[in-house]
Amino acid sequence: MNKLHEVLEICIEEIEKGADIDTVLFRYPELADELRPILEASAGAKRMAVATPAAEVVRRNRVRLLRQAAEMRASKRSARRFWFASARRVAVTLTVVAALFISGTGLVRAASTTVPGDNLYPVKRTWEDVLLLFTFNLQQREALEVEHKNERLHELQEVFAEGRSTEVEFTGVVTSQNGNEWLVSGIPVVISAQTEIRGQEIVIGSAVEVEGHTQGNLAVLAEKIELLPPGAALPDIDDNKFEIEEEDHEGRDQKSEEVAGEKPKVEDTETPESDSNHEDDSSKDGSDSSDDDSSSDDHSSGEENSYAGGDDSGGDNHDSVEDGDD
Amino acid sequence: MSVYDERRALDGLQSLDSQAIGAIYDLYFPEVYRYVRYRINDDTVAEDIASDVFMRLLESVQRKQGPQSSLKGWLIATASHAVNDHLRRRYRRPVEALSESIPDGSPSVHSEVDAREQNQLVLSAYAQLTAEQQHVLALRFGQGYSIEETAAHLKKNINAVKALQFRALASLQRQIGEVNYE
Repeated sequence: MNKLHEVLEICIEEIEKGADIDTVLFRYPELADELRPILEASAGAKRMAVATPAAEVVRRNRVRLLRQAAEMRASKRSARRFWFASARRVAVTLTVVAALFISGTGLVRAASTTVPGDNLYPVKRTWEDVLLLFTFNLQQREALEVEHKNERLHELQEVFAEGRSTEVEFTGVVTSQNGNEWLVSGIPVVISAQTEIRGQEIVIGSAVEVEGHTQGNLAVLAEKIELLPPGAALPDIDDNKFEIEEEDHEGRDQKSEEVAGEKPKVEDTETPESDSNHEDDSSKDGSDSSDDDSSSDDHSSGEENSYAGGDDSGGDNHDSVEDGDD
Repeated sequence: MSVYDERRALDGLQSLDSQAIGAIYDLYFPEVYRYVRYRINDDTVAEDIASDVFMRLLESVQRKQGPQSSLKGWLIATASHAVNDHLRRRYRRPVEALSESIPDGSPSVHSEVDAREQNQLVLSAYAQLTAEQQHVLALRFGQGYSIEETAAHLKKNINAVKALQFRALASLQRQIGEVNYE
C-alpha cells in the first residue's frame, strides 16, 4: 500500500514535469491498472485549478481591506484616547484626593485651636460632625458629644478673653435667671426683646441651647434660646472653672448698671407697666445690687440644684426677682 | 516595503500599517483566492470568502491571535475553515442537482465530452469528497504545492499526506465514475 502511495506521488510529479500517463505507468506495469484511473482523476483535479483572480477583483478587495484597516486604526486611536483620558482623569482624581487628604489633616490640625470668628472655625466644627458621624459606639459617641459641648464653653472663654464680637452657640444648664441676665453653665447670657425663646418654662436647671453674639462686655447677647429635651448632651465642665468669667461677670454687672439705660427696651417688652414706674427702676437697681450679692449665691445654689432641686431654687429665684420688682 | 519581510509584515499588521497590509494582500490574496475558488465553484462566493480571510487576519492580529510564524499557512488554514463553514451552510439547503447536460455514460465518455463538461463532471465529483480530501487536492493540484509543502500546511508527515492524497484521488475517481454512471 505504501508503495502504491509512493509510486502515485512519483507519477504525479513526473506528469507535472510534462510526462504523460502512459509513459510514467510504463515503469510500473504491475501497478498500471490500479494507478491509471487515479492518475486520470489527478489530471482532472489539475484541470480544476483556476487562474489568478482578475485585476478588478484584486483591486476591489484591496480597497475594502485597507478601508477596514483605516477604520480599525481610527477606532483603536479613539479607544486609546478614551483610556488615556480615563487614566488621566483617574490620576488627577487620585492626586486631588491625596492632596486633600494630606492638606485635609493639616487643615483639621490647624483648625483644632480655632474659636468662633476664625476663618478655619467651620472646618473644626465640620470635623467634629465627621467624627461624630463615624463614631458608632453609643457611649463613645455620647462622650464625644460632651467633649464638643465642653469645647464650646472653652471657646467662649477665649472669645471673651479676646473681647471678640462674634456669633456663638453653646449648650448648658441655666444656673441663674436674673431678669434679662441669665447664667448658662457659667456663661452670662443677656436676653433681649429680639431673643427667640423656644420651649415652655425655661427655669433654673433647664438644659438649653443658646445662639447669639458675644459682646465685649463678656456676655452673650442671645438670639435664640431653646429648651433641650431630657437626655440631651450637656457640657460637664465645673462652672467654678469660669472664675475669671464670674469675676468679670461681677464687673459686667457693674457695667450693666452703667448701661442699664440701654436695657429698657428689653424690659419694655416684658413688663410694659414698669417703664413709667420709678420705683421699679429703683427696685430694679436694688435687685441688681441684690443680684450682685446673690448672684454668686445663685450660682452656687444653681450648681447644687441645677439637676436635682432646680425647680425649687428657680422658684426661689423667681420669688426674689418678683420681690425685687415689687 | 520593496523586499517582503514576513516579520516586518507581521509587525506592520499589528500596528495596522497600510503599507504592510497592502504588501501582505498583494502577495497572498491571489493564492488565497485560487484556493477558495478551487474548492467553491462560484466566483462571487470565492471572492467574498477570500476577502473575508484578510478581514479575519486584521481582527485576529488585533486580538493577538494572528499568525505567529507562517502567514501563508495561517491564511490557507483560515480559508479552509471559511470554505468548510460555507459548504456546511450550503449543504443544509437542498443539494444542487448535477447538470443534465452530462451525457449518459459510455466506455468512451471521456473522449466524447468537451473540456467544459469534463471539468463540470470533475467538479461535481470533487464536491462529494470529504473536506480533508478536498483540502489536500486543493493544495496539491489547485495551489501546486509540493508534497512537502502540503504536509506542512496539513501539519502531517509526508507519508500520511501521500496516503491521504491517494485516498482523495481514488475517491474522486470513484465519484467521477458514479456521476458518470448516473
